Amino acid sequence: MSTIRHRLTPLEKADRRLGFAMLAPAFLLLSAVVLYPIIDLIRTSFTFLHLAQPWMGNPFVGFENYARALGDGRFHEAVWHTVLYIVVTVPGAVVLGLGLALLANKPFTIKWPVRLGLLLPWALPLVFSGMIFRWFFEYNQGIANAIVRGLGFQPLNWLSDPNLAFFTICLAIIWKSSSFVALVLLAGLQTIPRSYYEAAEVDGASDWQQFREITLPMLRPAIFVALIFRTITAIQTFDIPYAMTNGGPGNSTETLAMYIHKTTVDFLDIGYGSALAVLMFIVSAVITTGYLKYTRRDPGRH
Amino acid sequence: MPLLNNRRAVLILAALIVALNGFFPALWILFTSFKTEAELMRVPITILPAAPTIENYIRVFVDQPILRFLFNSVVVAVLSTLLCVFVSALAAYALVRMRIPMAGLILSVLLAIAMFPLVSIMVPLFQVMRDLGLLNTWWALVFPHAVLSMPVCILVLISFFQDIPRDLENAAMIDGCTRLGALWHVVIPLTAPGVFTAGILAFVNSWDEFLLALTLSPRVASRTLPVGITLYQGEFSFPWPIISAALVVAIVPICIVIALFQERVVSGLTSGGMKG
Repeated sequence: MSTIRHRLTPLEKADRRLGFAMLAPAFLLLSAVVLYPIIDLIRTSFTFLHLAQPWMGNPFVGFENYARALGDGRFHEAVWHTVLYIVVTVPGAVVLGLGLALLANKPFTIKWPVRLGLLLPWALPLVFSGMIFRWFFEYNQGIANAIVRGLGFQPLNWLSDPNLAFFTICLAIIWKSSSFVALVLLAGLQTIPRSYYEAAEVDGASDWQQFREITLPMLRPAIFVALIFRTITAIQTFDIPYAMTNGGPGNSTETLAMYIHKTTVDFLDIGYGSALAVLMFIVSAVITTGYLKYTRRDPGRH
Repeated sequence: MPLLNNRRAVLILAALIVALNGFFPALWILFTSFKTEAELMRVPITILPAAPTIENYIRVFVDQPILRFLFNSVVVAVLSTLLCVFVSALAAYALVRMRIPMAGLILSVLLAIAMFPLVSIMVPLFQVMRDLGLLNTWWALVFPHAVLSMPVCILVLISFFQDIPRDLENAAMIDGCTRLGALWHVVIPLTAPGVFTAGILAFVNSWDEFLLALTLSPRVASRTLPVGITLYQGEFSFPWPIISAALVVAIVPICIVIALFQERVVSGLTSGGMKG
């Protein structure tokens, strides 16, 4: 727009200068909290720094930490678990969220129970959701095993069997994150004109046909937004597995974020932890831009 | 009219499923919080407490300084919200109105930096806070929490600022207001719902944040609720009634906030999300 204008008036020039000044606080905050730490992180990742071995100092070691990561089985497992969590919980949350959004989109006269039902899981801290689900799946007193027993089966090791623990954690993550997805999709549903459905009904389309031919295509942009946001947060999965199993049994449910946290905060191996963090950042940047590119190529509208 | 009744039944069923899905976990810990340890041992399990007791709630306040945690959470959430909204409002307004070249690119850069996974820079962040002497103070969390909510706040505020006609500010400036005066006296009051929405989202984000709080502010004096609540479990023991009571105490404030402002929260989440 502004390219049409040849010259800025003095007032506009002053505006622009003031504008940059108004952006300054945001960039200042980001510099202190994100940019400077990133630079420091990258530098540290090329050094040896172990707080339990202070006599070793902080020597430059080149790519040694990265080479170590290549051969670190626990790191590979943590990456693998994180990928599994993403692959299971992101689609899971979108499917459950879509279901909730479709139910919530009905013409209720009293709206607040449904709206609060969608908002409460969103507002609940992740770590609390983890604790509550841990309580649900507690072996002796939890409600899950009470139901299992009631049906006449042996109680299950929901959180102490490695495979089952992974599944149980996924349930908790899906439940917690589906509410945000549902809210985004509900907003998408409400933009679809009623007349489309009325026309389809006149033509004799079944509910399923209406869902497939109208709802899903119209909802595609909203589903993509939900997918992107969910994936970006899923890469950083920490709180729920931390609260439910703390990565156990063994380290069968440990995520990348948890392993980095343990390496640095518990094992005090700062140099190596920094290299892992850099790798995590690269992975997350690749996934994020990949997703963004995919959505940009797809116009999303017909 | 059986058809109408059918329709109503479907409606009620749908509402019930959504509400139950959202409320059940919270209700279950509410019930648990009034039970005794002995009652939890019963087979089959009870749903409602057989003999409600408030013993667990007393233990919650006696065992840990939970009021201190609550106070810390409120202070951190309020300060980070104020900081975040202030910084985001200035930036959003500059991007919408101040003829900044390549505003779209600047916005993308801003969002990309702010959405950087803070988990991965926790160690250098720890060192920054230590060097500044801010570890175990509210400020160690206030600054990172403000960054955490910057993307959504900026997006929400931009969408609101864009709807304000330029002429209103121009009129104010002709009447002798400065640019910032026009922002403060004209634009902010007109976009109060947007500013408010951004504020609630920032508040909830800060209130819920766990990992940074665990790492940057672990001492009792500055510990926030999500970290404090995890302390009610022993190394090997899980006194579930007490943990449940602690969770109830911690959840109630946030429930009140979202119940009061539910429409704002929903519109903010979706407008911030849809444009992202």
